[in-house]
Amino acid sequence: MSIKSEKILGRKRRRELSPRRSSKLLKTRNGISGSRMGKFSYMRLKGSQNLRLRLLLSTLSSTPILIDDIRADATWPGLRPHEVSLLRLLEKVSDDCVVEINETGTKLKYKPGIVMSGRHLVHDCGTSRSIGYFLEPLVVLGLFGKKPLSIRLKGITNDSKDPSVDTFRSTTLPILKQFGVPSEGLDLKIESRGVPPHGGGQVMLSVPIVDSLKAITWIDEGMVKRIRGITFSTRVSAQFENTMIHAARGIFNRSLPDVHIFTDHKAGEQAGKSPGYGISLYAETTSGCVISADTAVSYARGEDEGELEDEKKELSPPGDVGEEIASALLDEIEQGGVVDSTHQGLLFLLCALCPQDVSKVCVGKLAPYAIEVLRHIRDFLGVKFVIKPDPSTETVILKCVGCGLKNLSRKVS
Amino acid sequence: MAKESGGSHQKNKKKNDESNEQGHKSHRTRKSGASAKKKSKSKPNSNEGLTQEQKKLNNPKAFAFTSTVKAKRLQSRATEKEQKRLHVPKIDRTTGEPAPFVVVVQGPPQVGKSLLIKCLVKHYTKHNLPEVRGPITIVSGKQRRLQFVECPNDINGMIDCAKFADLALLLIDGSYGFEMETFEFLNILQNHGFPRVMGVLTHLDKFKDVKKLKKTKQRLKHRFWTEIYDGAKLFYLSGLIHGKYTKREVHNLARFISVMKFPPLSWRTSHPYILVDRFEDVTPPEKVHMNSKCDRNVTLYGYLRGCNLKKGTKAHIAGVGDYPLSGIMALPDPCPLPSAAKKKGLRDKEKLFYAPMSGLGDLLYDKDAVYININDHFVQFSKDDGTNSEGIHKGKQRDVGVELVKSLQKTKYSVDEKLEKSFITLFGKKPNSSSEAPSGSVNAHELANQEVPLEPVEHYQPEIKDEDGESDEDSDTEDEDGLESSDGEKILKRKSSSGIMDDSSDEETNYASEQQPQTQSNFKEQIDFHEGRVRRKAVFENEMDIDNLKDSDEDDENDEDSSDGDETENGGDEHASTRSDSSTDDGEDDEMGNVSKWKESLAERTSSRQNINLMQLVYGKPSSKTSNEMNESSDEESEDDEFFKPKGEGSKTSKEGVNGNDVDLDDCSKFLKRSQKDWRNEDLIASIRDRFVTGDWSKASLRNQLSEVTAADNDDDDAVFGEFEDLETGQKYEIHQAGDSGDTCMNDDLAAEDRRLKKLALRAKFDAQYDGSEFPDEDDDDTKSSRGQSNGSGFFTKLKEEIELRKQVNIAELNELDEVTRIEVEGYRTGTYLRLEIHDVPFEMVENFDPCHPLLVGGLALGEENVGYMQVRLKRHRWHKKVLKTRDPIIVSIGWRRYQTVPIYAIEDRNGRHRMLKYTPEHMHCLAMFWGPLAPPHTGVVAVQNLSNNQASFRITATATVLEFNHAARIVKKIKLVGYACKIFKKTAFIEDMFTSDLEIARFEGAAIRTVSGIRGQVKKAAKEEVANKSKKKGGHAKEGIARCTFEDKIKKGDIVFLRAWTQVDVPCFYNPLTTALQPRDETWLGMKTVSELRREQNLPVPVNKDSLYRPIERKPRKFNPLVIPKSLQAALPFASKPKNIPHRRRPLLENRRAVVMEPHERKVHALVQHLQLIRNEKMKKRKLKEEAKRKAQEAERSKEEQLSKKRQREERRGRYIEQEKLKKKIRRNTD
Repeated sequence: MSIKSEKILGRKRRRELSPRRSSKLLKTRNGISGSRMGKFSYMRLKGSQNLRLRLLLSTLSSTPILIDDIRADATWPGLRPHEVSLLRLLEKVSDDCVVEINETGTKLKYKPGIVMSGRHLVHDCGTSRSIGYFLEPLVVLGLFGKKPLSIRLKGITNDSKDPSVDTFRSTTLPILKQFGVPSEGLDLKIESRGVPPHGGGQVMLSVPIVDSLKAITWIDEGMVKRIRGITFSTRVSAQFENTMIHAARGIFNRSLPDVHIFTDHKAGEQAGKSPGYGISLYAETTSGCVISADTAVSYARGEDEGELEDEKKELSPPGDVGEEIASALLDEIEQGGVVDSTHQGLLFLLCALCPQDVSKVCVGKLAPYAIEVLRHIRDFLGVKFVIKPDPSTETVILKCVGCGLKNLSRKVS
Repeated sequence: MAKESGGSHQKNKKKNDESNEQGHKSHRTRKSGASAKKKSKSKPNSNEGLTQEQKKLNNPKAFAFTSTVKAKRLQSRATEKEQKRLHVPKIDRTTGEPAPFVVVVQGPPQVGKSLLIKCLVKHYTKHNLPEVRGPITIVSGKQRRLQFVECPNDINGMIDCAKFADLALLLIDGSYGFEMETFEFLNILQNHGFPRVMGVLTHLDKFKDVKKLKKTKQRLKHRFWTEIYDGAKLFYLSGLIHGKYTKREVHNLARFISVMKFPPLSWRTSHPYILVDRFEDVTPPEKVHMNSKCDRNVTLYGYLRGCNLKKGTKAHIAGVGDYPLSGIMALPDPCPLPSAAKKKGLRDKEKLFYAPMSGLGDLLYDKDAVYININDHFVQFSKDDGTNSEGIHKGKQRDVGVELVKSLQKTKYSVDEKLEKSFITLFGKKPNSSSEAPSGSVNAHELANQEVPLEPVEHYQPEIKDEDGESDEDSDTEDEDGLESSDGEKILKRKSSSGIMDDSSDEETNYASEQQPQTQSNFKEQIDFHEGRVRRKAVFENEMDIDNLKDSDEDDENDEDSSDGDETENGGDEHASTRSDSSTDDGEDDEMGNVSKWKESLAERTSSRQNINLMQLVYGKPSSKTSNEMNESSDEESEDDEFFKPKGEGSKTSKEGVNGNDVDLDDCSKFLKRSQKDWRNEDLIASIRDRFVTGDWSKASLRNQLSEVTAADNDDDDAVFGEFEDLETGQKYEIHQAGDSGDTCMNDDLAAEDRRLKKLALRAKFDAQYDGSEFPDEDDDDTKSSRGQSNGSGFFTKLKEEIELRKQVNIAELNELDEVTRIEVEGYRTGTYLRLEIHDVPFEMVENFDPCHPLLVGGLALGEENVGYMQVRLKRHRWHKKVLKTRDPIIVSIGWRRYQTVPIYAIEDRNGRHRMLKYTPEHMHCLAMFWGPLAPPHTGVVAVQNLSNNQASFRITATATVLEFNHAARIVKKIKLVGYACKIFKKTAFIEDMFTSDLEIARFEGAAIRTVSGIRGQVKKAAKEEVANKSKKKGGHAKEGIARCTFEDKIKKGDIVFLRAWTQVDVPCFYNPLTTALQPRDETWLGMKTVSELRREQNLPVPVNKDSLYRPIERKPRKFNPLVIPKSLQAALPFASKPKNIPHRRRPLLENRRAVVMEPHERKVHALVQHLQLIRNEKMKKRKLKEEAKRKAQEAERSKEEQLSKKRQREERRGRYIEQEKLKKKIRRNTD
């Protein structure tokens, strides 16, 4: 908790996430003294980067972590609202996890508990990041919980920064199924949509529990057999969607006739609080891979300083958006690999969590985030990948032996 | 008759056998003796000798289909049996040679454990073992090694032994019978996964009476069977000859051990573990000298078992604690299996054994050395013949071996020094070569086309010159010992540095020429001018190691890189220009001609060889190479921007930005930087046309196939044989791998086919083994038939096939990798001999180390070093005499650990509430919650309360399995709050003494309450001051905790009001690891004491709460006041009902007062009557006595009966409980 004085001079923020829990902990610590493993060896990390990943891996491997220098030199030091929200979400789904944050929010101590999951949970994700940011760690965590998870997440459903909920439905869930996650109980329901800046969307995520995953050999990317997609519009004319679809189809038509893009125009309550529109496309291949690209267009967030003039700026025209995303999808297809660049990290993580068998996957160019994932996997789980480029197809083949994680919190009757 | 029938039977059997290729030896019926006669007598039936078919022929009706019901029943029974036989197949991830199987020899003291081990070792190795200390590893067969461990006689040792035993030999003193140790050990075994068990009866020579011996054997066997399973093997060792068990029996026992198969146990297959067979303290001696109690560094050696051990795993040393492994190293197997030459049995030379703790076996292996231990009186140093040697040498060629030894004796430098020196030269070479390269080229201009014989040894190692005075051979041997490898490398490096100038085609010829053996030992450098450029062709004679080959490859790359820089320097301005605008158009490239072309090819090549680069890119660089790599990377950045950028990594620089500086990068999985390609362009679309189903399918399939093949094949062959380009001429030499030419594809196809076949064969082999191993006890015919059926049931076989396929894929994928990467990826494989280094263990471990107590090091899985609450399903052992009390400390053994903890017992109520129990139930499972290091669910637990050896009774108190772990304990107990009414209104009353404060009342608002008489009510609110209490104004203190309650009826003032509630019970956060290895082993470990132990020690009485005692109920006779009738009422009453006021007479009546004088007759009569009465009284008295006696007898009988019935009832109750438990279990299983 000790921190330099000038840092305290900044914005003072005290976040005791749960006073009740921490006081209980205090009590037990001061209570009966036996020889206990009182000294947790915290894994020391620096910076705010990959906080999601760190928290997720810390919980899965039950290693306590201590993160220093979280935006220590920034104008607004400390944790961002979405990161705090993520910590709250973790507290919600797990039991007896201890989070300590110093006054400026530049230092975080996290001792993971047991993932309890459960039903009828509700979490407000806020409006600083979209729900996709929370979904990615949560879906992995939910697999290793005590009970199946079903949670209602509120906030921004579509965003240009994070994968949208549509993409999550169409692409991420099939990836999970490849690893032996049962398809019943694995679902994402979009109840209403919300775009930045004010959000107002709601999704219902349900994740079943597994005993352990199944190692896969997944190097056949196959050929794209169909392209599907969905467009949405909230608080704008439904005509925007048709324009997007038309533009996207124009790109695809020369390569593949089987293109269907659905529309999802929301109105009233279900449309959230801000106007916006967007598109999510995915290509299915003959070998069952799904490759996706998505984006959403809306007005910028008000709280981002220095972009005041952007707010006045017009939204980019839907035709351009359609073409851009169609091109992005073709980019992804060109790169090859069984997943797109967004899902590489998840794929590697799931491979690393498998039983002690060899998993072998093939991806296109390694995305920077995926590389970070690989490094963190090595640090937390001790799993190292063998990475070999495949010059003939310009893809990268990765192999690993899983860490053999089993769902320990599951109850045995 | 019998004879004949036997014959026919046999014939039939034989026929079957022939059809089945290999049959079993048929049963030979007795042809003479008692049993033959008996059989013939007992079966006079005429068609007894006929086979089934013949019988059918004789009487077809008897075998006709009779009842559908029966048939159905039979069928269902058969299928049921079939299903019962099946187990969920488990993947066996071990590869390669298995570690030696651990044979634990256990038994009570003085039963002959050590003697048995000695006899077995003698049997296997023909060595006499003076004493058994520590594990003894021996080679028992061509495919099998065994490790014998003697189980120590304390319970801690037994628990540890049970965790690593593959086979337990339970020694039982036949003359005495079973002892508790055996059963205790069996129970421990059962709860930590049940390894194979074999009983061995000893001391059978104490029996003089054969009949008694036979009976005892029978009795013990059956007792043994009830404990394990019917038909468990019990071996008899009849007696001693010359202080040893008879050879024949030991031989038989060894046979039994040698054919035994060991099923995988779930805990062990998921955790690595090592049975330590060598232990060393490697603390720097000066540190110990300074402070003899400083923390020590120790090394532990042993075979890795269980599963693969990764670096960074934490380990638990049983009896010491958890430690990170600070160093793991694989050592060569000290007791290797013999080579797989085809021969029968083992040679004597191969009958190795390895027992470092026993101080036996002459070899001692260390990290980097092998010590040969020779007794001093065997040592005879040969004379150092420094001067004489010349003469002898000249006269007669000496033996090479002798030469070698002599030279060893003569050496001036120790091995260490030599190594150090050679090391320096090795690394000092690197800059040499790069600096040399240009100078060499300059020199080479002068030495045109001239062969220069090179002597690399001389050239690079001046210190060897000292010994150069000796003959050629001598120097050779010198090279061989110790310097060989470095030497070889040097040569290679030399070659590679020369190879820089060569183009790759020449390189290949070099490789080819290496293969040809030549007489000369040195290699030559050939320098010639070729196409205006100096080239130095290195012609090799030496054999090259395959390992070195790889190294050289890498070096090659590095050197090429570095040389590339040189080249560019040489090239001068042209190259600079190409560099400056490397993204130039074609025209300029043409101008540059060859130069830029070779650069292109280089870029291609590096991109094709980027496997190391990619790994390094992601995981950082291995520390040993840093200096080179750093240079390289800096090079890349500064000048070779375009050429050496790996193809798959366009955004490398950006990534370096990621790891380098920006620790606060935004956390986003989406990769937003996109290549801004215009996909409306037809050409671009055409470039990815094959990715769509509308494109060319054959090309796409080819692409996939290729990717698979290249992935499956080793990378280095395409590194060697891949396409390359002549740097000078720009000629392309392509081996059409990527192209369409057929031969390589065919080769690849063939290879793939080969692999597939191999896989199939392996699977078949595995299947055969698996079936055999699973049911060794079953009849062979039975398994055959059932196997036939199981082939029909597809699911099981499919499952097994899948698993086998998985395994083969694993093996195939992992075998592709080189050793270092494989260990990084997979960890150390099971069966390797490992050296573990552990830092900072307490000095007591070294001080009190006792080789007789085996040391177990168990690896911990993810999250197992954490502590928390654990819930287990526990049952008191039926042989433990007392029930267990909540909060009495017990010692549990879970996973690898043993620790003392304080459990709270509980039971789950109908509504899912966990209610605390003060004591464990008598015949039922209950839940126990305790705090300690976590173990995964399904782990077996053994609980012990007393560790002392001198305790006569059964030491195992309870057994359990882990259900779940949780960070919060939710156990409740019942609490009854009692209150009294202080003021009563109609249906409302104020209750006092139930709560202590108003806050408490607020907590219980709305709670249901009840009076003793059964009137129900509800707590409303805390009472207002004025109403309930005397208000402050009146001077009384306001009493807190008075609650207003309402009832369904008016309650009385004397009614007691109850509130029933539940309160949480805290589970004590206490656990105490058993550090038995840190104290002398004969001392009993002392931990937390139970309350009763403390009382006994302190001589304290059991505290008694007097209120809780039962007292005889005393009821005072009730005294009623006399009835008083009011005067007015009295007046109104009729006379008859009026109380009569009769005054008390002072004098008695006359009738009572007067005296009576009797007449003589009357007196007689009176006397008679009195006599008669006396007689009667007497009679009555007698009768009464008699009756009394009778009643007493009856009572006694009745009480006896009562006792009996009580006993019966207890039995019944117990049965009922057991039944209930079973039912519960079944339900639970069903609900699962």
